[in-house]
Formats: sequence, C-alpha cells, structure tokens
Amino acid sequence: MKVPRSTKLMVEPSAVTTGDIAFNLIVFFLVCASASPDSGRRQELPRSETVAQPAKGQHVEVHLTRTTMAVNGDVVRPRDFTPRLRMLLSGKVRPEDRVVIVKSRPEVPYHHWIAATAGIEEAGGIITIQREEEREVRLPQ
Amino acid sequence: MKIQRKTYRVEVPSTTMGDIAFNLLIFFMILARANDDSYLQWQPARLTDLQAAGASRVSVLIDSESKLYLNGRQIGVATLSQQVAQLLGDTPPGQRTVLLKVHREAQAMYYEPAIEAVCEAGGDLVHILEESKEPGPGS
Repeated sequence: MKVPRSTKLMVEPSAVTTGDIAFNLIVFFLVCASASPDSGRRQELPRSETVAQPAKGQHVEVHLTRTTMAVNGDVVRPRDFTPRLRMLLSGKVRPEDRVVIVKSRPEVPYHHWIAATAGIEEAGGIITIQREEEREVRLPQ
Repeated sequence: MKIQRKTYRVEVPSTTMGDIAFNLLIFFMILARANDDSYLQWQPARLTDLQAAGASRVSVLIDSESKLYLNGRQIGVATLSQQVAQLLGDTPPGQRTVLLKVHREAQAMYYEPAIEAVCEAGGDLVHILEESKEPGPGS
C-alpha cells in the first residue's frame, strides 16, 4: 500500500532574528514615549531694555494673585476679563497705547498666568511683565 | 606527494545587513536627541486655540520642583539669557524659536525671570501647553 506523502510541512519563522525584532520594538517604543507635546502658544514680549517706563495711569494694568485677576485695580471674574480689556483697549491704535502691564504676585501659578496673558493677547493687548525686584536695603549702623 | 589544503571563502553574511543599518539609524537618532528633556517631570498648563510649536534648538524647562533646565541641563536663571543667546547665535529672526515648558503649578518667582531672560536673548517665545476643551477667560 502506498502511503501519500504529506506536503503540508510546518513552516516556522526563523528564531534567529527574534532578538533583533525585540530590540527594535524596544527602541521604537522608547522613541515614541519620549515624544514631547509640540503644541503651544507663541507670545511676543518686548525686550526689557527697549520698553520705556510707562507714565502712571497711561497703560492698562493687570494684577494677578494666586486666584484672582484685577484690571486697573478692579477684581474681575475670569469670564469678564477679556471683554473688559477689549473695552479698555478699544480705540487705541498705536502699539505703545495697547501695552498692558502684568504684575504678578510671586506665588501666582503658571496656569493662571498663561490664562490671563492669553486673554490679554486675545483682547489685542501687548504684554509687558513688571516684576517686583528684590532689593537689598542696608540700614545705617 | 603534497596534498593541497582546501581553501574556503569566508564572507560576512549579508542577511543581517538590513538589521544592522536600521539599528545604526536608530542609534544616531537617539544621539541626535541627546539634548532631550523628556526625562524631566512636568505637567503642561491647559489652554485653548494652540498652534504647532515647530522645531527649535533651544528648550527651557521648569520642572515640578521649580528647577530650571536649558536643553535638559540644569542651570541658574542668572546665566540663562547669555546661554540662550549663545545657542541662538546668528539665527535669523523668525527662526529663533525657544520652547518654554513650565510646570502648571510653578510660581511666578521662577517662571517670570526665565521668560524675561529668553526675551532678552532675542528668542521667539513659544509656551508649550496642552489643548483644553474648556474655554479660557473671557472666551
């Protein structure tokens, strides 16, 4: 009796390259994991040397504390912030008139600051940061 | 009678050349990212209407411990302006992008001097943020 020869041979992928494949997969996921977020917001701030000291009362001032926003000394709700600035800046055409001075308390968190400055830019203002410099005062002996 | 010894031709196997080339490619890709700051711990602030940040050679980061890094290397704020200016060199305007990555809870006393330093160095500031679906103030 003639036994028919089976032509269905089990074909296995070569195990020699498994190490290479594993290594490549590790590297691929490593590169993917290290990808940082690439979306953001461009912000134009005038150089500190070129900014002329504004006369008091001439420019809009924004005061930031840890949780509040104040426009020219009046605390405003976040949803009223941009409309209020837009109203104050309306009719001001020259860039130097549209300067908004931002004064922040040292403890203001970044997410609050960026929301406020984005609101200023949305209202058409030009942001200028004014910091309270720490000064060493020597008392006379 | 002298029996001739058999000589064999020894060749480098060419089957793994592709793998070797690919690994080399990835190796140099990682080397090129040596200035990467992806290992640092920080959480971006959220905002709406973000744009693509684009490519940049300079990245300034303030991490969750309020430490300042320039291209993944910790530095002091006093030298930031000088070092950013050095990295930007004679790059023409419009290509002087500096990515600013600040931890969302970092305080103004840390990030405001860094922002000022970048502006002093003539960098085009791009805040790296996360897209938010909630509208910002006033919008």
